[in-house]
Amino acid sequence: MGTRTLHVEHLPEQRYGRRYVWQLPVRLSHWINFLSLLALFLTGLYITFPQLAPAGEPSQHFVMGRMRQIHFAAGQIFLVSFLWRVYWFWMGNNYARSGFPFVWRAAWWRDLVRQAMAYLHLRRGNVHLGHNALGGLMYTVFVIGLGWGQIFTGLALYSESNPGGFWDHLTGWVIPLFGGSFRVHMWHHLFAWGFLVFAILHIYVVLFDSHQYRNGLLSSIVSGFKFYEEGDLDHDSWVS
Amino acid sequence: MGLEATLVPRIVEAMDKKPRIPVIWLHGLECTCCSESFIRSSHPVAQDVVLNMISLDYDDTLQAAAGFQVEEIRKRIMKEYAGEYLLAVEGNAPTRDGGVYCTVGGDTFLNILVETAEKAKAVVAWGSCASNGCVQAARPNPTGAKPVKDLIPHRAVINVPGCPPIAEVMTGVLTYILTFGTLPELDRQGRPKMFYGQRIHDKCYRRPFFDAGQFVEAWDDEGARKGWCLYKMGCRGPSTYNSCSTFKWNNGVSFPIGSGHGCIGCSEENFWDNGPFYQRLSNVVVPGIESTPDQIGKTLTVLAGAGVAAHFGSYMVRRGINAAKKEKPVPSAPEKEGGDQ
Repeated sequence: MGTRTLHVEHLPEQRYGRRYVWQLPVRLSHWINFLSLLALFLTGLYITFPQLAPAGEPSQHFVMGRMRQIHFAAGQIFLVSFLWRVYWFWMGNNYARSGFPFVWRAAWWRDLVRQAMAYLHLRRGNVHLGHNALGGLMYTVFVIGLGWGQIFTGLALYSESNPGGFWDHLTGWVIPLFGGSFRVHMWHHLFAWGFLVFAILHIYVVLFDSHQYRNGLLSSIVSGFKFYEEGDLDHDSWVS
Repeated sequence: MGLEATLVPRIVEAMDKKPRIPVIWLHGLECTCCSESFIRSSHPVAQDVVLNMISLDYDDTLQAAAGFQVEEIRKRIMKEYAGEYLLAVEGNAPTRDGGVYCTVGGDTFLNILVETAEKAKAVVAWGSCASNGCVQAARPNPTGAKPVKDLIPHRAVINVPGCPPIAEVMTGVLTYILTFGTLPELDRQGRPKMFYGQRIHDKCYRRPFFDAGQFVEAWDDEGARKGWCLYKMGCRGPSTYNSCSTFKWNNGVSFPIGSGHGCIGCSEENFWDNGPFYQRLSNVVVPGIESTPDQIGKTLTVLAGAGVAAHFGSYMVRRGINAAKKEKPVPSAPEKEGGDQ
């Protein structure tokens, strides 16, 4: 099973153990996702409600064009980072896949309930070296789910500027699926807000847990290391 | 039509010498705006199409005859020219209650359509009604109207959407079929690529204003007078596939955007349900709730923020209670109390 209890196997006076949890590709992907999503969200808002109104001849300006350019570039960067992370799900260490929702396993559901109870202040929480079940579920729904949603709707909309081109062949089928280009636009908008909702919850939970457990959670996305105490859970493996 | 100049003689020859194709033109639930558009075609002229290119054997709107004789003609054409005649459908068929909401000559239009499509060489769906439902299939669609492609799913249908389609697009499709004897290349939604391959936005003469970021903000503002982009006024050009910005209308006189009004996307699926026409975002994502995606998104964001605030507040309260309980005994590690119960 994926969850084990950790033991600090060092000198008796040593209270904490330290383990390398997030490998470099995971951390890099995290920060590239953050930066590209930030750029995508802001330029996306601008594309919906363009606020600057440059005066003079159109030949002197390229405001909307530039915003769209940044949006498309950030989208391509997010795509590469996302696909790289999907690859690393298979190739990385077990912590790289610890967020996977093992819905068919009783232990996963127990961990999910335990974590939910902990956040409701009803029970003591546990430190996990990998993702806890609730956190993993969040990432699966918001990052993986919405990520695929944005990638497909985004690329389909992008492909419209080059009918019969590469992206049209790959993702053009999305447009009739949603009932026309306009509806794809609408869903793309709704999905985008999901990332903001996720960002609020994610940042809060990370700060909260980091404060509560004092396990180096916040710094681990920079350093890769997490700390554990005797009895903490090592939620690392998705292969039983 | 995107053809080479060397093919012009072939078109001329086809128009001169090829035997005329028998055409059965059916009218279902529709407003006849497609026919109105068709008869205004100038390249080629509609009269030329009707008199020299095709043999319009049945068209209950245009023909002089009426009654049993006319229905007799349709049956005769279906028999004598089986597999050769072209079926052109204007409008669509209601399917609820056995299709009784549209009957022609004592039979439901649904039956007539299915029966006539059986032995047609090709089926052309004129306009948005026949191609994707249009107004009668918009929510709540009381008669269960369905576009032609859904009624004869086993047949390939050429969709020529638009409300109405551009006249030259209609005659252009017929000219192509007559000249080459095959159907034009179609896209995923069954529309001829040569006319519906690109968005209005991509060939719009106001596109430079879009890229520059110069938008009309109100119908009577400075931008409107200068002919800036109508994107912020809800123009559907960026999501509408049609030839309006290239062919224009009425022998090239103008088209909606050229006249200062945004495109309403009349050749797109669900365009009636994608309203309101005059705003960029609409209420389509969650039908029934009058919210645009951005309003839904903002609400969810506020809820998430409120949830976070509530959680942190309750945490602080509990922390305070715990601290009060343990006030005297051990002042050792107060910062760890949160997780220590």
